[in-house]
Amino acid sequence: MLVHTLLFALAIAAQQDSVRAPARTIAIDERLATDAHLRIGDRVSLSAQPGDSGHVAVIAAIVRRGADPAEVARSEYKIRLHLTQLQALLGYGDRVDRYAVATRNDAAIADAQARINDAAFGFHAHRSRDIAVQTSATFAVVSRFHRAIGVITIVASAIFLLCIMLLKVDERRRDVAALRLMGISARTIVRGVVLEAAGIAIVGSAVGVALGAAASWLVNAHYQDVYRTPLRFSVVSGDIVVLAVSLSLVLGIAAGWLAAKRLVSTPPLSLFGR
Amino acid sequence: MLFTLAAASLIRHRTRTLLAILGVAVSAAMLLDMVMLSSGMRESFRGLLQGQGFQLRLSPKGTLPFDTDATIRNADSLLALVRARPGVLAVSPVLGGQLHVPTPHGAVTSSVLGIIPSVEGDYDVVGGRQPAAPNEMVANRQLLDALHLRVGDTLRGAAGYDAQLRALSGERTLRIVGLARFIYMAAEQKGAAVPIETLRRMQGPDADDRISLAMIRLRPGANADSEGVAIERLLPRVTVISIAAALNQVDERLSYFRQLAVILGAVSLVVGFLLVTTLVTVSVNERIGEIAVMRAIGVHRWRIVLQIVMESGAMMLVAAPLGLALGLVTARYLNSILARFPGVPARLDFFLFQPSAAFTALGLLALSGVLAGVYPSWRSASLPIAITLRQEAVG
Repeated sequence: MLVHTLLFALAIAAQQDSVRAPARTIAIDERLATDAHLRIGDRVSLSAQPGDSGHVAVIAAIVRRGADPAEVARSEYKIRLHLTQLQALLGYGDRVDRYAVATRNDAAIADAQARINDAAFGFHAHRSRDIAVQTSATFAVVSRFHRAIGVITIVASAIFLLCIMLLKVDERRRDVAALRLMGISARTIVRGVVLEAAGIAIVGSAVGVALGAAASWLVNAHYQDVYRTPLRFSVVSGDIVVLAVSLSLVLGIAAGWLAAKRLVSTPPLSLFGR
Repeated sequence: MLFTLAAASLIRHRTRTLLAILGVAVSAAMLLDMVMLSSGMRESFRGLLQGQGFQLRLSPKGTLPFDTDATIRNADSLLALVRARPGVLAVSPVLGGQLHVPTPHGAVTSSVLGIIPSVEGDYDVVGGRQPAAPNEMVANRQLLDALHLRVGDTLRGAAGYDAQLRALSGERTLRIVGLARFIYMAAEQKGAAVPIETLRRMQGPDADDRISLAMIRLRPGANADSEGVAIERLLPRVTVISIAAALNQVDERLSYFRQLAVILGAVSLVVGFLLVTTLVTVSVNERIGEIAVMRAIGVHRWRIVLQIVMESGAMMLVAAPLGLALGLVTARYLNSILARFPGVPARLDFFLFQPSAAFTALGLLALSGVLAGVYPSWRSASLPIAITLRQEAVG
């Protein structure tokens, strides 16, 4: 809350006049430094309301934002002040919005949380892990949405693949008829077709993984630029590659098997068109 | 004749045709969903903003309404200046805060709005009535359920905690006089509204003469943009947001979804196009001899092209309604996922069905169906007749 209040309420102007008291230091984020053409050592005037007489501060550091999903869509600027400096600026007294408490080890977390909450009135202790889960709720929803879109895409791909395999096998009905008439068993023909389908699926998967990696690189480059964040939006992990390749293999083999079974169940002479 | 030939060709390869129709239907569903997604959020949000008849929102300088805890000081005198403008019909000030209601199982915390009931535009009263006196309130279903209360009951509520005194601050007995449905609150969010003076008294001297937001209703004929500029000039400590500006902000924050919609929509269209092109190409290759015979007996090249284009068009036409129905079902499901976005108003639809979206999806599909048939049919109809017939006869 304290930070958010500051984010939007700060008015910044280059300070030309000399000041009596030594100015305190602040850190600003890269985005603000770029947009406002500010550099380390510049003096700025900070105020909680436009038009108020400001507090003069010196920019001591320019900081790079962390990859925080909760902040990605917010195009606001960020400034870090000393706590007492911000409390004075906002007329906030000695209030704070939150404390961060470090425990000696992980085992002490639950005990510390329980003891704080037993004594607390008007505040509550949360585990950092729980807060992280809550603040990334947006991305959890996006992730579910992507999964749903993924399922639709898989259904469409499966139908597409089945269609192509059907056509591909269908094109060779004369060859299959000849093989059957020569005495090659239906099982051998089906195996051959399935092997071919698996080969196509493997090559297709390899091309797909390469395309996916390229698309992922493009997505990251684009959105990191749009949102000015180091956050990685798309990651092609080993798990995803294994899932995609397995899925493609299973679908490819199933499509090939179905198409081949359909073909070998037709009498060879009919396949010749007689 | 043309139609019969096209239909016969499709029926001859039933499985293939059925699979193609299914594939195109799934692509059409995805395309419709993405067209709905690309424009739905904006139109739905526009509906939310316009629904209450307020054209301008006034918030602390540099902020969006309720995006921060910042408030506007000396609000009453500032709003008097706004009300005095000839183009302004009504001003609805809003102060935001929290309502803490102690219960035997711990306190229930809810968002609370301080409003002027006669001009408020934040909720619809769906049961009971508006607050008419201090210490009266309306609450939404989520809050009433959490407290196991009903309209007509009273509760003890506070605006905050005093940690040093270990006591609730700004405690009041509030009477629930109405059931409200809040327009801008998220689905699970507990909400209440009380007269603004009641909330100010509960929040103490810090909230005196402050507001979080004001909504401005203009007289018919007044220009929202020029009024906004004039009010910002009059009140340098506020930002005036028109509906267009608010929509631009929403566009910026949700640009990811629009871009995703464009990319996935384009991919769906390409997949549908490729599927039909592949099928038509294979189908045409299988019938090269038949096409050569038709050319040899005097059937014009364009009639052959037309017949094959009709085949691809027919597949698209049969698949389109199936795809549209499938698209509406999947849109409903996808909308239910995105509706769980934290902080997004429950009434906002990410996938909003508009006839124009359906027509756009249908039009794009029909066009891709025609284009998918043109090239293979023209290529086959342009082959030399004698050579093709000889090759087909020899095998």
